[in-house]
Amino acid sequence: MSAVCVLTPLVIASWPAISAAISGAAAAMGFSMAASELYEEARPRQKKVETELENSEVVADAMSAGEKIVIRKGDITIEFGRDERGRCTVCVTGTKQSDKELRKIGEEVAGRVIQQFTYNKLVSELKKRNYKVAQEEVLADESVKLRIRL
Amino acid sequence: MDTPEFEVTISKTGKVTVEVKGVKGPRCLLYADLIKEIVGREEERKLTAEYYAQDGQVRIHTQVRDSSSD
Repeated sequence: MSAVCVLTPLVIASWPAISAAISGAAAAMGFSMAASELYEEARPRQKKVETELENSEVVADAMSAGEKIVIRKGDITIEFGRDERGRCTVCVTGTKQSDKELRKIGEEVAGRVIQQFTYNKLVSELKKRNYKVAQEEVLADESVKLRIRL
Repeated sequence: MDTPEFEVTISKTGKVTVEVKGVKGPRCLLYADLIKEIVGREEERKLTAEYYAQDGQVRIHTQVRDSSSD
């Protein structure tokens, strides 16, 4: 090979594009989509940890203000939203887990959302530029490997 | 002549690695730059021996001499 580059994705997009990535990541990790109204019910002894999607910016548009996406698996609930700075926020709640465990879950899900977003964007942009994804593979460490040709 | 291709690996934490193959010389960076343009910020870049290999292109260097001044 002639060159190897390591890149950090910038997740800058409108809310629908980020929502699509959240849906894809949620499905891959066994989470189901939940209605945000259900999340607002008071739950006893519930712990909450907040984090954000690294290097993210939700481009403001008429639909993104106040919009949230909620996913759930067991007693873990994760809410994605947009803060005042435009960053994509990740709020993880659970009743049985410690703060450290909830934070770890949030980071794992956030990473998968970034993976899904980057994949969606790459495939879409490469197709527009007439590149062909010759091969696609999910590796043992859950990385996605694409082989691309002109 | 090898078919140019590149491999993009997206880790489960979102980190992206691009490996360009079958392209000798600085042209390989065109593909790396393409992915960087789409994905985001470059953290690291390594150039291999194939980068420094001759790409088979002929380069002509010209130089104009001004013989009027003595």
